[in-house]
Amino acid sequence: MTTFAQHVMGQDEGPNARSSGALPSIEYDLIRAHILASLVTLVISVLFGITVATKFTFPEFLGGHAWLTWGRLRYNHTEGIFFGWLGNAFLAFFYYVVPRLADRPVLSRKLGWFLFWIWNFAVVLPGWVLVAAGFSQPLEWAEFPLVVAAFVVLAFILMVFEFVVPFLRARLPDLYVSAWYIIGGIIFTMLAYPVGNLVPELVPGARGAAFSGLWIHDAVGLYVTPFALAIAYYVIPATTRRAIFSHFLSMVGFWLLFFVYPLNGTHHYVYSAIPMAAQKGAIVASAYLGMDVILVVTNLLLSLRGSSGTASKDIPLRFVWFGVVAYLLVSLQGSVQALMPVNRFIHFTDWVIGHSHLAMIGFASFIALGGIAHLWQRIPGTRYNERMMNWSFWFLAVGLTLMVADLTIAGLVEAQLWQSSAPWIDSVRAVGSYWLVRTLSGVPILAGFVLFWTSLITGPGFSEASTSATSRVTSENVVAFESVSPASDELSSAGWLSHAHVIAFGAGVGFFALSFLVLAIVPGKELEDEIKQVAPVTMPTLTASEQRGRVIYGREGCAYCHTQQIRSLAADVRRFGTPIEPWETKYDYPQLWGTRRIGPDLSREFNLRPHDWQLTHLYDPRLVVRDSVMPPYPWLFDVGPGQPTQEGLDVLAYIQSLGRARQLSGFDRQTLASSVLPETPEMAMTSEPSARATPPGVPIAIMGGYSRSAPVMHPASDPDDLQGEVSRGAKLFAANCASCHGSAGRGDGKASASLLPKPANLTAALFSDERLSSVLWNGVAGSSMPPWRQLAAEDLRALVAYVHSLHAPTAAPSTPDAKTLNDGQSLFVANCASCHGGGGAGNGPAAGALAPPPTNFTLKKPTQERARDVLENGVPGTAMPPWRNQLSADQRRTLVEFVRSLYVPPQENSGQ
Amino acid sequence: MINLIVIAISAVMFALPLVRWRWPAFRVWMEAPKYTMLRQERRFDEQVAERRVSSNLLVEGGHA
Repeated sequence: MTTFAQHVMGQDEGPNARSSGALPSIEYDLIRAHILASLVTLVISVLFGITVATKFTFPEFLGGHAWLTWGRLRYNHTEGIFFGWLGNAFLAFFYYVVPRLADRPVLSRKLGWFLFWIWNFAVVLPGWVLVAAGFSQPLEWAEFPLVVAAFVVLAFILMVFEFVVPFLRARLPDLYVSAWYIIGGIIFTMLAYPVGNLVPELVPGARGAAFSGLWIHDAVGLYVTPFALAIAYYVIPATTRRAIFSHFLSMVGFWLLFFVYPLNGTHHYVYSAIPMAAQKGAIVASAYLGMDVILVVTNLLLSLRGSSGTASKDIPLRFVWFGVVAYLLVSLQGSVQALMPVNRFIHFTDWVIGHSHLAMIGFASFIALGGIAHLWQRIPGTRYNERMMNWSFWFLAVGLTLMVADLTIAGLVEAQLWQSSAPWIDSVRAVGSYWLVRTLSGVPILAGFVLFWTSLITGPGFSEASTSATSRVTSENVVAFESVSPASDELSSAGWLSHAHVIAFGAGVGFFALSFLVLAIVPGKELEDEIKQVAPVTMPTLTASEQRGRVIYGREGCAYCHTQQIRSLAADVRRFGTPIEPWETKYDYPQLWGTRRIGPDLSREFNLRPHDWQLTHLYDPRLVVRDSVMPPYPWLFDVGPGQPTQEGLDVLAYIQSLGRARQLSGFDRQTLASSVLPETPEMAMTSEPSARATPPGVPIAIMGGYSRSAPVMHPASDPDDLQGEVSRGAKLFAANCASCHGSAGRGDGKASASLLPKPANLTAALFSDERLSSVLWNGVAGSSMPPWRQLAAEDLRALVAYVHSLHAPTAAPSTPDAKTLNDGQSLFVANCASCHGGGGAGNGPAAGALAPPPTNFTLKKPTQERARDVLENGVPGTAMPPWRNQLSADQRRTLVEFVRSLYVPPQENSGQ
Repeated sequence: MINLIVIAISAVMFALPLVRWRWPAFRVWMEAPKYTMLRQERRFDEQVAERRVSSNLLVEGGHA
């Protein structure tokens, strides 16, 4: 009877186990099972992705059910690709290649099947179901809930036994580069995965983000990249039957990758509140990584020298070649993206989404497909259909090229608009067609994957299969090697150099510890010290309702479209407000900073919009923002936007709490009025005083703060010019205003049913240019009317002209007699002046405490019908009460005439 | 921190070619795995080829 330790270290094996003549067995059934699982999960994950992409164009598509909402499908798309597709593909390759490289079988077939079941039925499948059901965590590449994450860690521990132990048992004199990557990748991911999943739940905000950044990049850099490179380094020589160009260069590439890749993580948070030293360290590491990739790709491509014919004919090799080229492109792109001048421009845009698809499809998936196709030709009884495989390659290549080009251009368009003062929604409108093309580009990609799958199951059987692959077994290289092998043997028998596998094992552990220290612990300590020094003593925590809302916000994927990370950049500050300080995030478990903006940043949402607007927006975003692509959340409401469930109220409470600590703490001493146009240097960092002191506490572009110095927009006096302005204004009105005010401006837009106070009926009053300009510039406090000062001056002027054109008096103008006016004045002074002021200018003693403010009748002349209606019924949602019980009909009629007489006609206004 | 990273990476980058240049046996040892890998491939391919031959013989024998 043997112990477990003896079994693991091979001391229980029979005499044939390490016999130089006998070959280790290969678990072909496990390879087939993992390939099948990889392709099934691939197709499902791509369908998730196409559905997610479709929702950008048709936000209502499958939008009525929580399980099919954008956020949850987005989580399942990426996790499915990560674990389902790539994980199974890599495992299939390991079962094929580890016995060859280690000259040992994998540890145990039973363990292999246990790992298969864990991976697919304790990780992928339950992960998908739980995310769809609303149990997830809003962390990039860690969206599966912690209970699933525990099984991922277990699976990686099992992988160590299954795939690393054979190398330890073999005590090989040398270790091929693919083995180094496999061992290093398994060990590193086993350690890094729990850090990326668990630590942000325990360490809040900016400090947690430092750990998240570590995992975001390690997921690609130390799980996907090493395993994909292991495949590339194997398939190329195995197909061409020629040794790779330089094993020395491949090892330099390996060590550099493992040394600098973990240090890249913080480049996702450039210009953020994370300490500058960590940011710059990540940028430097990114530049080194670019150099490393040039070296690796050069080595791989030189390994194909003289084999161009093979590369064009052998489809698996062509897949790998494409992946290697994509690796070069995406890595150089990544290095450039990390540079501050580029990062501040393209970060958060669709450019980054194009980059990630180039990485995960162009690099990783192409190489994984090449690996699967390569070994499929070598598994007994299996061959692929060459014609279909060829079509699969071209469908994928064309689809991917189209997608990446499209998203890259879309990113540039977004970036350009975000640098301007254009309203946020303009960037959504501008890339709408690009999003459609992106969705369409997913079709050939899906077709390519389906064709690949079909090619595997429709290939000729074993007996009919070509034998060319195995008949080309010669090798001048091998002969050449055997002539020099004594020197190699001499060296390899000398001490520690022979324990390459132990070094690879140590590399995984060592670099994990290094990256953990440099990227997470050191900056985390610095942040902790800063928070202790700076944080206000009375910083409010979240209420129970807000805390519940935060969980819902996370599970619905809100953080994947709305960042909570205002960077120290003028464009960010102008649009969203003061850069986020580390202390503001001290209660954020886990951080919700986000890495993408489809909607605006929400860090300063406190006091920004009224509750009814927020609820209406949550219920159906297009009720208040016509061209929004945000998904609706009807399951947070009982019937309509006016009847939210407790979960709806919780989300509302959480959103309304964002930025509250900053505003209530008195942290910002600058007044709004003095910082209407913040002059933040473009390159300002959080450590520079100018970036912190200058910006306002709330976003100027959205909230604005009331400004008495709002520019007055006078429409053109020339009739032709005026007509042009009205036409332009009509289009702007339809795009920006009609969802609330209605297409005809009667205040009866789709959103009006759930807004209080109701949107103004613009046909029922005559407005002065000054009044309209002030409302457009400042919004109306206490209502859902936002400021529109981010629009260009000519647009604001056109809107003023258009709103003027809406006014259509329904009754013949009347001229009240002096007695009526005197009586009206008496009534006004007695009943209305405390709010509206003695002269009706909306400046009574109580006005300062009212929001919305009382009407200024010198700037607004309501129609008689409207004025009578207001006096009779009041204005719900404002301080204006109904007067039908206090005033008689005659008195109300008299008051109507009086307030209408207060209006100062436009020609006198313009002269002011 | 940045200086440390730059110095460490630069040192490794310079050290590796230096070792390779100064120590020919290291060069041989370093390049050995790429040939070992091919030798292993050849062993596995030969095994598959042998299986195919024996399988064909069995089929032919059956027909006979």
